[in-house]
Amino acid sequence: MLVFSAKALFLPTMPKLISNNISVSIALLCLIVLILFSLDLFFGPANIPFKEILKIIFSNDSVKESWSVIILESRLPKAISAILCGSALAVAGLKLQTLFKNPLAGPYILGVSSGAGLGVAIFVMGLSFIGISVQDISFLSNFGVVFASFLGSFLVLGILIAVVNRLKDIMTVLVLGVMIGSIVTALIGIIQYFSNDVQLKSFIMWTMGDLSSVTNTQLLTLTPIVIIALILSFLLSKQLNTYLMGEEYALSIGTNIKKSRILVISITAILAGSITAYCGPIGFIGIVVPHFARMLTQSYDHRLLIPISALIGISLLLVADIISQALQLPINSITSLIGIPFIIWIIFKNKKITNLN
Amino acid sequence: MNQNINISSLSTGYANKVILDAVDLSSKKNQLIALIGRNGTGKSTLLKTLAGLHPHLNGSFHFNGTNMFDLSNDKRAQLLSIVSTKASYIDNIVVKDFIGFGRYPYTNWLGIKNNTDDFLINKAISICSIEEFSERNYQTLSDGEKQRVNIARAIAQDTPIIFLDEPTAHLDLVNKIEVLKLLKELTSNQEKTIIYATHQIEYAIQLSDELWVLNNSQLNSYTPSQLIEQDILSQVIDSPSIEFDKTSGFFKIR
Repeated sequence: MLVFSAKALFLPTMPKLISNNISVSIALLCLIVLILFSLDLFFGPANIPFKEILKIIFSNDSVKESWSVIILESRLPKAISAILCGSALAVAGLKLQTLFKNPLAGPYILGVSSGAGLGVAIFVMGLSFIGISVQDISFLSNFGVVFASFLGSFLVLGILIAVVNRLKDIMTVLVLGVMIGSIVTALIGIIQYFSNDVQLKSFIMWTMGDLSSVTNTQLLTLTPIVIIALILSFLLSKQLNTYLMGEEYALSIGTNIKKSRILVISITAILAGSITAYCGPIGFIGIVVPHFARMLTQSYDHRLLIPISALIGISLLLVADIISQALQLPINSITSLIGIPFIIWIIFKNKKITNLN
Repeated sequence: MNQNINISSLSTGYANKVILDAVDLSSKKNQLIALIGRNGTGKSTLLKTLAGLHPHLNGSFHFNGTNMFDLSNDKRAQLLSIVSTKASYIDNIVVKDFIGFGRYPYTNWLGIKNNTDDFLINKAISICSIEEFSERNYQTLSDGEKQRVNIARAIAQDTPIIFLDEPTAHLDLVNKIEVLKLLKELTSNQEKTIIYATHQIEYAIQLSDELWVLNNSQLNSYTPSQLIEQDILSQVIDSPSIEFDKTSGFFKIR
């Protein structure tokens, strides 16, 4: 069934893009996502039979009231958050790697996630300085947090893009990203110092956020934002492909670099920012997944890499969530433990990667 | 009026350096034109300016009556293609797909190629005789092979004008000559107008229809015989350690 649907989706529009091997890979990845999603719903402190889980989700009736609450209010939103988070971070990472021509770029390491944190800090704590309390209006604060984190991410990316052309070495760009991250952390510290208890508490609560802190109401905001941003990313595939050739060539084959770069940055900031706004900073998914996608497809083409990265990102985050559930560890530790050895391997594998342009 | 290339009162440069100062120049199309000049005279900047990749300060560049500077990026991409000195580092791309980048100005928003695109890609492959490695990974090619592929990409872009910046720079002797002969064929058989920056003045004299000499912010065009007869090279290359031998057409070390 899945095989057919994947083929039906892709084959008629892209006859030459999808070889048989790759449509099999896509089908397999969809299957893996489905299995991991089910496992993620299944594992947890309460032992709920799988048959009951299906019944609760599809017919909303259950033997025990408490089971229904656990599934619908806790495990299902958490698993959906993992899907949104995995796909958004993976695609954001892929676009950043293309944009910065840098195999080690990602939302976390470039300070984009920290930028989102600064946005939220200013929104939650800073607004109280001018007499607005965020807690008064919860609906507004829901959108406000997303918008603030978007602005924060956009700001960091804007600064990086403005200086990146003057830097010849990709490691310098990474160091700059780390430095921006530190400055941002320092700024957040200053804001924290000057805030009152209530504001500080709601910000600290935010920083400790993870997949399980996303509520059903918040999912109603996050889901459409992520889906739309992922679709827009896919629509920019052609432009992203031309970036691979380098800026001059991209211009010479008719790409409007200025316009498409602003679009790419905005959509990446929306993806990384909104995820950071709701799930807190989750590292290394954005760096690692695009490499898995390139290895699997043996392709440069964003029309393929974007959907494949999304699927791999989802799988990896579901795995990380299952592990973090089993070991009772924060998910950010799990993604770091999976991600960092792989990054070291990338560095050793391409010794030439310090070459920019 | 057979002058299809018209550059008039063109000035360009950087904040602290003038590259061209009110240059006027006309040439015929479908010629192989070599752009020569010492290091730092601004050959690359001139090509970039004409290609719309570097802002011009003043003046115009007409091709067949169209001012190229008035065109939008995507319209210009259908008239002019470039082969730059910068190598492209793209992982996982086969030669055929790389050449396919030349079709981007013509494909839809998702870059899906139609039969015309495939036809022109295959035609570019056969013009450059690169059939034997058209399915190979671009990164595994030698410098000479890469340069033929880069030229094929520009041919696939199907533009009447092609600019090349030092197309023979990293190549061995045989590859140098073969690339230059390929360019020459393109102008005579495929109705291309090719302007290429080069330091290989001796080959340029033998193969080019015209030479554009960039010196002291001025640009002048000569036929190879004019260049030799008027002793232009000794003015451009004014060095005690080298002299141009008119009879052999080669430089000699003093």
